[in-house]
Amino acid sequence: MHIYIRFILLWLLVAPVSAMADKLPSGDEIANRVNARDEGVAVARNLTMQMTDRRGKTRTRKTRGFRKYYGDEKRTVIFYLEPSNVKDTAFLTWDYPDIDKDDDQWLYLPAMRKVRRISASDRGDYFLGTDLTYEDIKLETRISIDDYKRRTIGEDKVDGHHCYLLESIPVDDETARELGYGKVEQCVDNKIWMVRRARFWDIRGKPLKTAYFRDIRQVQGIWTQHRIEVENHKTGHRTLFLFSDVDYRQGVSDTLFTQRALRRGL
Amino acid sequence: MALPAFGAEIDSSHVLSTRTAFGIEETGTQLLDLSWQPRVQWRFEDGGRLTGIARLRFQQEPGTRPGDIERGSYTSVSRPALIGDTAELDLREFYYERSLGDWYLTLGKQQVVWGKSDGLKVLDVVNPQSFREFILEDFDQSRIPLWIVNGEYAYTDQSGNDWTLQLLWIPDQTYHALPKPGATYAFTSPRLVPKAPSGIVTQLNDPQRPDRIIRDSDVGLRLTGFVGGWDLSLNYLYQYYNQPVLHQKLNPGGIVTITPRYHRTHVFGGTFSRAFGDWVARGELGYFSNRYFLTENLHDDDGIAQSAELSYVLGIDWSGMTDTFISAQLFQSRLTNDQTGFTRPEVDTSFTFLARRMFWNDTLTTEVLWIVNTHDGDGLIRPKLSYDLDDNLEVWLGLDVFYGNHQGLFGQFADNDRVLLGVKLGL
Repeated sequence: MHIYIRFILLWLLVAPVSAMADKLPSGDEIANRVNARDEGVAVARNLTMQMTDRRGKTRTRKTRGFRKYYGDEKRTVIFYLEPSNVKDTAFLTWDYPDIDKDDDQWLYLPAMRKVRRISASDRGDYFLGTDLTYEDIKLETRISIDDYKRRTIGEDKVDGHHCYLLESIPVDDETARELGYGKVEQCVDNKIWMVRRARFWDIRGKPLKTAYFRDIRQVQGIWTQHRIEVENHKTGHRTLFLFSDVDYRQGVSDTLFTQRALRRGL
Repeated sequence: MALPAFGAEIDSSHVLSTRTAFGIEETGTQLLDLSWQPRVQWRFEDGGRLTGIARLRFQQEPGTRPGDIERGSYTSVSRPALIGDTAELDLREFYYERSLGDWYLTLGKQQVVWGKSDGLKVLDVVNPQSFREFILEDFDQSRIPLWIVNGEYAYTDQSGNDWTLQLLWIPDQTYHALPKPGATYAFTSPRLVPKAPSGIVTQLNDPQRPDRIIRDSDVGLRLTGFVGGWDLSLNYLYQYYNQPVLHQKLNPGGIVTITPRYHRTHVFGGTFSRAFGDWVARGELGYFSNRYFLTENLHDDDGIAQSAELSYVLGIDWSGMTDTFISAQLFQSRLTNDQTGFTRPEVDTSFTFLARRMFWNDTLTTEVLWIVNTHDGDGLIRPKLSYDLDDNLEVWLGLDVFYGNHQGLFGQFADNDRVLLGVKLGL
């Protein structure tokens, strides 16, 4: 009898958890919910990047950026404002929905006085000295559907917010090499469908970096992250992105997403 | 720093830099250069901007001082002011720019950069260049800004392709600034300067330069577009070629006078670039209708002969490895006049190779550039190591090694190999 009571108690404890796990949305469902979130057709914002090495030395970059959707095509431009040695550097991306079509990217370096076409395939390269890759920057708050297979592995809390744990594995070795990641684990807030934390492993399976997405609040009705903290566990290097003056309504001119605009600056 | 003033917002910045070069073959300091470059920009409420960039340079070492280049190639409104023997003050750029409907106007002293090549130039000939340090100085610093009326008209065609038509009117008759004979980087290659036979006395006259503001001005036109993934441009320039032609004349008494003159040429050209995965292919082509070159043809009475010149560059960039950039370029220049006797080859071929790798989150940059001329077998190798000590402070160490015989473009400076140390501070 005593054994039966124990068994019943154990069943009462486990059954709800098991049932809850069965109720967790699938990885693809979570990714689709994240990607369906309203990001606004266009946005203008300031971005301050602080990069700190393992000895504590910090470099700061101030930029103004713009992003606009043209249907499923996304165009992004970033203009560097400070410090003086990178001032007027500008970076433009046209990101196409067709996965077989490479993005078009251009970089303006003021010392060269030329807009230079750059290869878009090095998406695992770190973006201008930060701990985020070109691919991370391009995705913003979205999740890449085609590059990974994903599954929901549980639940967690980040900064007091409940979230689903989403594990993503690159679809093949070549994609893993391109991205520089062997595995990504994201904690997705199930109320606002935004990533609160992302952990990255390198292609050898070793912990690579952790990113926290904080100070998430609504701007003009759109949930917006204002702070991204990234720590690279291999190098000890850290990056802090601070967004300010975020504006989805001011209207972003199409002429900003041209090579002419890169040359002229803001 | 931004301050509101007179309905305008003023933004200013400064760059302080030093470069010190030590000769390797000819030991001692080859170059001591201290530069202050302030930049001020006024932003007006109507969207217009006025930008001024000045440069005050102290250049201590004989052979590379401000007075060691031919200053007669500048117009009076573009010529830097000499301050004693070792300093010059230059209004580098001063222009007003604003949109006007579909037009964007840039009026004033400015740099207009055409072309897709690195290290050597084909279409980047709108502005002349100072050869005080041959091609070793950064082009941004050695390019001579001109007073230009620059209008750009933007439009989108029915297929959604973006085009820009640029029109240039250049009334400023400033040309290449060449080192004086005896200067550290004075030209001595027979490709560029005539050699007098022994016993013959030569006399260099003042250059005969165009000086009519309207009739002698240059005009340019460029159409750029992005079509089907290709960046394309068509270029046209009607200019006085920036390098003077050295007309020679044998006078009674056995004295040869050399008179530098500038000649008009049409320049027709185009550029392309496109990314293919890890690769970027790019190129440019320029056809110069009327060039003059030194000749040793005994039937020629002034030591120069005319030919059209076709120059082109094909380049390939590769960035398939993290933080690494590798680039190779083929340059070729062909003369259409097949007469023998030119001191330069009818077909002149050069290659460039550039490898660059960044470390420590882009704070440490290592690179090496190699330029080789296949005709003369000479070249230039330039390794460089630079480190960002701080947001605004960069230090770098470089080496410039020329090799080959003294007849070649690069070999003529084979005794000028140098080690450089540079510091750049932005404020």
